[in-house]
Amino acid sequence: MAYFITDACTGCTVCAKLCPVCAVSGERGQRHVINEKRCVECGVCANACSQEGITDGEGRVLRKKSRAQWPKPVIKKEECSACQMCVHICTAGAISISLPDTRGSLNVFAEIREPKKCVGCGLCADACPLGIITMEVPAADVTKGGVSS
Amino acid sequence: MNLPLYAKIDLTTGKTESYPISEAYFRTYVGGKALAARLLLDLTPAGLDPFSSESTVIVNTGPLNGTGAPSTSRFNISSKNVLTGGIASSNCGGTFGVMLRRAGYEGLIITGKAEKPCRIDVTDGEIALLDATGLWGLDAEKTQEELPAHLGKLVIGPGGENLVSYAGLASGERMAGRCGIGAVFGSKNIKAVTAYGTRRIPVEKPEEFSRFVKKWVRFLKKHTMTGDSLPHYGSAGLVNKANASHALPTKNFQKGTYEFADDVSGETLAETRLTRNSGCVSCPIRCERRVMIGDKEVKGPEYETLGFFGPNMGAHDLDAIIRLNYVCDILGLDTISAAATIAFAMELNERGIKDFGVKFGDVSNLEEILNRIARREGECSELANGSKWLSEKYGGQDYAMHAKGLEMASYEPRRSVGMGLGYATSNRGGCHLGGGYMALLESVGVLSISPQDTRAKAEWTVFLQDALEAISTAGSCLFSGQTFVPQILFNLGPNHPITRFMGKAAVFTGPVVRLLLAMRPLLRFNTLLLMPHAEALRLVTGIPMYTGSFLDLGDRAYNAERLYNLREGLTGKDDALPRRLTDVPQDESKKNTVVRMDKLLPRYYKTRGWDKDGKPRQRTLKRLEMADLWQA
Repeated sequence: MAYFITDACTGCTVCAKLCPVCAVSGERGQRHVINEKRCVECGVCANACSQEGITDGEGRVLRKKSRAQWPKPVIKKEECSACQMCVHICTAGAISISLPDTRGSLNVFAEIREPKKCVGCGLCADACPLGIITMEVPAADVTKGGVSS
Repeated sequence: MNLPLYAKIDLTTGKTESYPISEAYFRTYVGGKALAARLLLDLTPAGLDPFSSESTVIVNTGPLNGTGAPSTSRFNISSKNVLTGGIASSNCGGTFGVMLRRAGYEGLIITGKAEKPCRIDVTDGEIALLDATGLWGLDAEKTQEELPAHLGKLVIGPGGENLVSYAGLASGERMAGRCGIGAVFGSKNIKAVTAYGTRRIPVEKPEEFSRFVKKWVRFLKKHTMTGDSLPHYGSAGLVNKANASHALPTKNFQKGTYEFADDVSGETLAETRLTRNSGCVSCPIRCERRVMIGDKEVKGPEYETLGFFGPNMGAHDLDAIIRLNYVCDILGLDTISAAATIAFAMELNERGIKDFGVKFGDVSNLEEILNRIARREGECSELANGSKWLSEKYGGQDYAMHAKGLEMASYEPRRSVGMGLGYATSNRGGCHLGGGYMALLESVGVLSISPQDTRAKAEWTVFLQDALEAISTAGSCLFSGQTFVPQILFNLGPNHPITRFMGKAAVFTGPVVRLLLAMRPLLRFNTLLLMPHAEALRLVTGIPMYTGSFLDLGDRAYNAERLYNLREGLTGKDDALPRRLTDVPQDESKKNTVVRMDKLLPRYYKTRGWDKDGKPRQRTLKRLEMADLWQA
């Protein structure tokens, strides 16, 4: 079941810009629509919606989260084969394969090169064939957000 | 069982319809080039001009594409071959295949001809024909930059637009170079095919598969070829090895060694030009070279490109090769056929037969020549027709280095006679990969099965051709099959007495290989050491695929393509090499440095279960569950 945009939507375009699979469309100032065929239920739109105008597949209204509370991928780099499945699926362009320390070094791995671009969708974790990417809410920020561990 | 869904697109009428693949076809042909060959046999009449509106091109994937199994971004494009008139199949590691599957289709069957330049777009299971007039004329790189970044793309460059006989297709920086399918796209006015979607790619046994993938990746990382040699040096690492074995074509295959080979070797490339290695998406091998042209990082040349724009032209300018490789890619030209055709033109010039403005030892004007070829300007329009066409017009058939019309790759078969047999019998024409790549076991690998000896070569060629064909059909990269060579040989090294003994003894293994092929129904096991792809296929598709049935799949693909060739008028007589390779010893003092096709070919036909004219026997087709294709 795909996510859904309610009539609380003001057409601010934030969700459309952040959606990692380009599933949201709509004009500025108009209610936006989620393409249900495309939606992967990553929750990025809901995390970012200041109007809390997005419901999940079961119709629950989802709460906005501060950017610090968005989950971030953590990559076990020593197990990474640098196969680029995560790099390829990340439309935000946050992940790259690290550059070798010395010419010819094969010791490279996927890394979050542009953490600010990451929208916390988790598609990388889902795509990783080795299952070595986990989505975690940064610890320090959890405290800041007032959630006890 | 999740059956593949194809779409049929008629560009003339603009009609599209879904084309589900039956369970029987899925179980028998699986996907990729095997299924494409069968569909071409079913859906097209014999004798079509590849550029006619009725001709059909199939872009399809294998079941492993996009599943996350290692080295599985390779998708296939098949059609009628512009250069040979037989089957064309070309393979590419770009992201288009994975994206096509996510968009909802396993393959596209494209026929007809669009009135004006078009882009076929596949999004979330919907197919649209879009106008691409604004993209026409752009090179392959610029075309892709103009299209939205998130799409999977498959495009042609000016070479395809102008129907260059060896025009290829680009997906990202990856090329499906061979057989001129770019020109077939151009003839249909297809500038690009794009795909996007988020469909989950089906896997029958996800948990087992995930465990298997982890094991497979670890295995690839540990093996010397896939974990060390290819990542460090890429295929470019073969230049020095081929040169040492006299198997490096030099000056249009006049010789097999080149004194400055090291200047264009993988080692020199790695030490002086390489910025880093990279790879196709999903691949842990990462054989791709990254190099700089000015301040731009681009894909570096492969072994064949180094050999053909270097030694085979009597030249050794590494920077020029890097540049020419890039120029061919953005023009949408196959580097092998382009460079081989130019080398043939150089020999025509050397012999005073015809001067196209190219000569051995000088590659300084080739960028301009390639641009003129891609746009078919002036006399270069003749070079755009390939070496077979040139030799028919100007003579020189004896040294026009192609088989069936497709230019051979950069392995000198007179020092690798099994490779020679492979070139001659390969369904798409003179291709090292379609040919079984015996060079790896004869002259450029750790093992050296006496390169001049014809014994056992036919059997090994059949075995390897079938294996490579099946790997390709699965959607895997052929390099992932290199782990087939036992690791212990790399630990011992090529000069160790045991390795050398095995090379010598291997010429007596013909009957063993034939027995192995005969025992296929009994090979109901899978092992990482032999064909890991079979196990991956079993877990992904639910088809009971084992080592034996996997080899059968390759055999079936090989026979299907062969039947297509026979239907289009090719015969056993076309399983031949230019006389330079069969009649003129590479080394005058060693009379055996020729390819003895008279010895190799009959045994090859027999091992394949074909008659003396190279036609599959009825019982062979029956064994392969394709008796319905038999014609008396």
